[in-house]
Amino acid sequence: MTGMNRLPAPAGSLLDRSKTIAFQFEGRTYEGFAGDTVASALAANDVWILSRSFKYHRPRGILTMAGLDANTLVQIGDEPNVLADRRAISEGMIVEGQNYSGSLEHDSETWIEMFGRFLPPGFYYKAFYRPKGAWKFWEPFIRNRAGLGKVNTAAHHGYYDKEYLFADVAVIGGGPAGVAAALQAADAGAEVIVVDDGAQLGGSLTYARFDSNGRSGRALAEEAAQAVAARSNIRVLSGAVCTGNFADGWLAVIRGNRMYKLRAKASVIASGALEQPAVFRNNDLPGVMLGSAAQRLIRHYGVRPGREAVVVTANADGYAVAADLVAAGLAVNAIVDLRPDAQPSPHVTAAQQLDLRIITGSAAVEAVPTLGKRGISAALVAALNDDGTADAAAESIPCDLLCMSVGYTSLAHLLHHVGAEFAYNDSTHMYEPASLPAHLFAAGSVAGAHDLDAVVAEGRRAGSAAAHDAGFGAGAEPPAPIERGDRHHTHRWPIFPHKRGRDFVDFDEDLQVKDLVHGAADGYDDIELLKRYTTVGMGPSQGKHSAVAAVRILAKEMGRDLQDMKVTTQRPPFVPEKFGHMAGRVFEPGRRTAMHHRHIELGAKFMPAGLWWRPAYYGKPADRETAIRDEVLGVRNNVGLIDVSTLGGLDVRGPDAAEFLNRMYTFTYTKLAVGRSRYVLMTDQAGAVIDDGVACRFHDEHFYVTATTGGVDGVYRTMLFWNAQWRLNVDVANVTAAYAGVNIAGPRSREVLQKLCTDTDLSPAAFPYLGVRLATVAGVPCRLLRVGFVGELGYEIHMPAHYGEHVWDAIMEAGKPLGIRPFGVEAQRVLRLEKGHIIIGQDTDGLTHPYEADMAWAIAKGKPFFVGQRSIAIQNGKGLTRKLVGFTLTDASAPPPEECHLVVRGADIVGRVTSAVRSPVLGKVVGLAYVAPDQAEPGKSFDIKVGRGRVIQAQVIPIPFFDPENKRQEM
Amino acid sequence: MPAEVSISPAAHPRRSCIYRVLQQAGARFAPVNDAAIAVDFGKAVETEVAQASTMGIADLSVLPRTGFKGAGAVEWLTSQGLAIGPDSNRAYPQPGGELAARLAPTEIFLIDGLAGTGELIRRLNAAWSWGSERPRKLIGYPMPRSESHAWFIVTGNQAPAMFAKICGVDLRLHRFAVGAIAQTSVAKMSAIVIRADLGGTPAFHLLADSASAEYLWTCVLDAMAEFDGAPVGWSALRELAGGG
Repeated sequence: MTGMNRLPAPAGSLLDRSKTIAFQFEGRTYEGFAGDTVASALAANDVWILSRSFKYHRPRGILTMAGLDANTLVQIGDEPNVLADRRAISEGMIVEGQNYSGSLEHDSETWIEMFGRFLPPGFYYKAFYRPKGAWKFWEPFIRNRAGLGKVNTAAHHGYYDKEYLFADVAVIGGGPAGVAAALQAADAGAEVIVVDDGAQLGGSLTYARFDSNGRSGRALAEEAAQAVAARSNIRVLSGAVCTGNFADGWLAVIRGNRMYKLRAKASVIASGALEQPAVFRNNDLPGVMLGSAAQRLIRHYGVRPGREAVVVTANADGYAVAADLVAAGLAVNAIVDLRPDAQPSPHVTAAQQLDLRIITGSAAVEAVPTLGKRGISAALVAALNDDGTADAAAESIPCDLLCMSVGYTSLAHLLHHVGAEFAYNDSTHMYEPASLPAHLFAAGSVAGAHDLDAVVAEGRRAGSAAAHDAGFGAGAEPPAPIERGDRHHTHRWPIFPHKRGRDFVDFDEDLQVKDLVHGAADGYDDIELLKRYTTVGMGPSQGKHSAVAAVRILAKEMGRDLQDMKVTTQRPPFVPEKFGHMAGRVFEPGRRTAMHHRHIELGAKFMPAGLWWRPAYYGKPADRETAIRDEVLGVRNNVGLIDVSTLGGLDVRGPDAAEFLNRMYTFTYTKLAVGRSRYVLMTDQAGAVIDDGVACRFHDEHFYVTATTGGVDGVYRTMLFWNAQWRLNVDVANVTAAYAGVNIAGPRSREVLQKLCTDTDLSPAAFPYLGVRLATVAGVPCRLLRVGFVGELGYEIHMPAHYGEHVWDAIMEAGKPLGIRPFGVEAQRVLRLEKGHIIIGQDTDGLTHPYEADMAWAIAKGKPFFVGQRSIAIQNGKGLTRKLVGFTLTDASAPPPEECHLVVRGADIVGRVTSAVRSPVLGKVVGLAYVAPDQAEPGKSFDIKVGRGRVIQAQVIPIPFFDPENKRQEM
Repeated sequence: MPAEVSISPAAHPRRSCIYRVLQQAGARFAPVNDAAIAVDFGKAVETEVAQASTMGIADLSVLPRTGFKGAGAVEWLTSQGLAIGPDSNRAYPQPGGELAARLAPTEIFLIDGLAGTGELIRRLNAAWSWGSERPRKLIGYPMPRSESHAWFIVTGNQAPAMFAKICGVDLRLHRFAVGAIAQTSVAKMSAIVIRADLGGTPAFHLLADSASAEYLWTCVLDAMAEFDGAPVGWSALRELAGGG
C-alpha cells in the first residue's frame, strides 16, 4: 500500500508505479513508488509534518514542493539538511526530522514558543552578557539548540567530482520559455545546453493547468521534449540546478554529487517565478501551501493534497488550482479572492461553472490549527477594507488544506549574481529586470511575462538574441508578443497582521510581521540593516518567500515608495551547496624524488617541503633524537648520503649570463672561472634576503645556479620578470625536476665516489673545494659540485632524474663496506648549524638585509647595480637595529631554546633565537640569534626568555662553531 | 611479445617515475632504448586495443624526447632538417614519426615516434654544441625534457569526456584538432596536452612534471573509472597506430 492519499494514473507523471520502495521516517516504515520524493511519499501516506521551525519549534510541512523552502529539511542517515521535496526515496533509506527533542511528532521544546515575547529579533544582542560570566553559562545552552541537522565527523567521504562543460548558448530553465529559447538558438546553429531542475522538461507545463490553446500542459511538455530531443546540438541536463552565475559566462550547475562548471558564450535565464505566501496568522502550519505546490503533488506525484480546501487567491491561477483540486476529489469550500472583483478569465468561468463558492474582496486572516498545531481545521475569512486591512468579523470555513495563489516573485537570482539592475513595476507589483549585463538574456516569467504565448514568444526572441550574441544566426528577430500577460498576477499587499501574531513573514527564521515592524522602529530602517538585524531572508531559503514581503512591510512602515527600494542582494548559491561539491575530488599534488621508494625501504620519516616529500630522518618517531644524532656523527666521522633532489636548479645560458647574475645576485660572477662555483645571495628590491645557493660555471656562457627547495619557483619567476625589462641576451630554464641530486659527505666521501667515477680526477689538487665538473658516476653523466654546506668533505652529484634511483643504489653499494649511512633533513640542519650556515627563511625573515645577517662578505663592492643594492645601502646607512650572532648557553646543562624564543633586555624585546641545537659533536648547545648591535661581539651576554617565563643566559661566540678554519670541507 | 618473458624495469639504469605503479597494475616490460617499457598489462593485444579505443592510458616516459629553446632554436632545428610551421601551440609531425611541438615562438619540445628508436633525438642532442666561432651564433639551448617531464598518452573516444573532469580546456574532438596543443592545468598541475590520434583513435599526449608523475597517474585513473578506463601497453598503441 503506497498511501491512502494516492490518486490513480494519469496523475503522478514522475512515478513508476511498477516499483514500490520501502523507507523509514522517524522510525516507522512507509512505502512509495519509484519517482516519489521523500515529501511526496510521506504525503501519500498522510504524513504532513516534516520539520520543526528554527526558533519556536512549530510543526512545518510542504510549502513550495519545489525545493525552494526550508520546511522540508530532513536528515537522511549521515546527511543533514536534505530537501525532502527534491530527494528521491530509495530502498531502506532512513529519514529523520531535525530540530526537536523527543520526536518530530511530540517535540518537547514547543514550550519555547510561550516565551516568544522574550525572544524578539536581536534579543541576543541585548542579553546573555550580564552579569559578568553570564555568557559562559548561556553559551552551551544556546549552542546545543542552534543549528540544523547532525554532522557525523567520522562519516565516510562521499564521492564528489566536477566536470567542465562548454556551450555557445546556455539556457537555464526547461520550461516553455527555456525550451523555446533553446530550439531557436539550436536552429541558428549554436551548441546549446539546457539546465533544468525537473525530472522532465516542461517546467510549469508539467504541473499547472493551462487553457490557452485548448491543449493540456502535459501534451505541450511532451511536444517540447520531443522537439529538443530531435536536435543533436541541444544537450539537456535534467535534475540539475544552476546555483551561481559568475563573470565571463561561467555558471555553476549541480546535479547529484557533481558540480558542472559551464562556460557559455551567451546565457538565457528562463528560471521562472515562485509563488509567494500570503501573510496571516498561522500561515506556516502543515496544510497551508502554495497553489502550485498542491498542483505538483497532484500532477507529479499523484497525491491528493487534502480532503477539504480553501483557496486564497488574487489571480486567475488560484481558480485553476481550485479546478485541479476538484478534479482530484477534494471539496473546495471557498475561493477567497483578495481583489474586489475577479478579472475575467477562462479559469474563473470554469470555477463558476463548477458552482464553487467565490468570496471576493476578502482574505483569510487566520488558519485554525488542529490539536498540537499538526494541521489546520478551518480558515477564518474576513472582508477587506479599502485600505487593505481586514475586518474584525470573520467567517470560519472548514478545510484541512489552504492554498495560496496571491502572487509571484521572479527567480531572478542568476541575474542578480552578475549585477543586473531591478526596478519595481507599480502596475505589476513586482520587481523586474531593468538592465542586463552583456551576453545575458532573460525570458518568461522571470522577466515578467506570464501569458503562455507571450512566454514562448519571448523565449524565441531571447534564444535568437543569445545565438546571435554568440556568433550564430543572421535571421530576423522573432516577433514580440502582443500581450505579455504581466499584470493581475501579484497582489500588492497580501499581508494581514494579526494582533496575536504568528503571522509569519519568514518561515526559516520564525519572523512575524511585528518583528519587522519593531526592527524598523529600533532604527534599522534600511532593508540592508533590517535584514541583518532581524535575520529576515538569512535562513536556508535565503528570502525566496520573504524578501519582497519584507520590503513591502518596510515601505509601509517608513512611508516610502517601493520604486525607491530594492530587495537585498542575491548571491550564489541559489540553493544549498555542499562543501563536497566545491571540493570535488580531493587530490593533493605531491612531488617525489626519484629515490622516494628507497627512502621508504630504509625506514624514512617524511616531512613536507613545499609540495615535495623529504626524509626528515631514518627511523621510528620514538627514536627520533637518537636517529638524528647517529646520522650527524655518521657524516662527521665517516660518510653519509642525503637526497637533495628537491633543491632548485636553474640553467642560465647566453652571452649575457654573467652580467645577468651580477644584476640578480649580490656577488659578482664575471670573473668566475669555468669549473668553479661561487655562493649566490639574492635580495629583493627592499634589500631583504630572499634566497641563496651556488652558481656553477660550466662554460663562459653557462651557469648552473642552485636555489632553495621552497624558493626556486619564485627565483625563476623574478628572473623572468627582470629580464623582460632588461632584455639581456640570456635564457633561463628551471631544471629542478630534471636533475635528481645527492650530497655524499664526510671524510670518507671521496673514497666512495672514486669507486664510481673513473673519468674524473677527484684528488684535491685536480678538483679543489668549490670546483665543479661534468663527470660520469655509475655510468651516468652528472654535474659534480664540491660544496661545504655541512662542513665536511663532500660532493653534490646532480644526475638526470630518471637515473636517480640507479645512482643512489650504486653509491650505497659502493659505500657499504665503509658503513655509509643515509641522512635526512634534520641531521643536515644540525650539521650546517654547527658551521653557522644560515637557512633562508629560518635565520632570515622578510626584512633581514645582508648586513644584519653578517653577510656583507657576499656583497660585491664596485658593482654598478644589483637588485636591492640601493635599499641595502640605505638600510645600512641608517645603522643596524639587530645583528645575527652565534651563541652558546652560559649554563651548559640547560636545554636548547626553541626557534623564536625572544632575546630580552629587561622589559624590551631586542631579538629572537632563529636556530638552536645541542651539538652531538661539540657536546654543547649552539645556535643563531638576533641580538642588539651592542651585544653582538663574542664574549657578550644576553638573555633568552624560554617557556613559562624563565630567562636563561647566553653568550656570543664566533662562527663557525665546529672546525673554525674550515679545513675539513676543503680536504 | 612472448608470454612469460618480462624484464624488470630495475634492470636498467634509466627508469620511469611510475614503474612500481605499473608493476602493481600487472605490467609486463620489454626493453626499448636502454630502458623498460610496459608492453601490456597481461591481456591479449586485441583486448588492450579495444580498451585503448574507448578509454586507455599508457606510460611513455622511457621513450626519447628532447627540447630546445631560446633565440635561434627554431632556425637551428630547421637547419638540422626539421619541418616546423609558424604557429605556436601546434605540433608538427616529422618524417620519422616524431612530433615537434612548438610551445612558443622560440621553444620546441620534440617527442619521438611510438617506435622509440630515438635516432633524430640522439642526432640533435649530439649536434648541439657551444661552437668555437666568436661571436657565437645563437642556436637556442637544449632542454632536459627527457628528465623534467613524465610522458603519458591518453587514448579513446571517451578521452575528451574524461579530460573534462580534470581540465578546463575544451578538448572535444571537434574543438581541439589533431596537432593542437594546450599548455594548461590538468588535475591542478601544469601540463602540456597534444592531440595526436593513433590511426582513427583519438589520442592525447600528456606531459607534466616528472616529480608529480605518480600523483597525475592516480588522478587520471580516477577520472577514467567512470568510463571503465584502464592502463594499456605499448603493443596496443602501436597496433592502433598502424603496426610497426
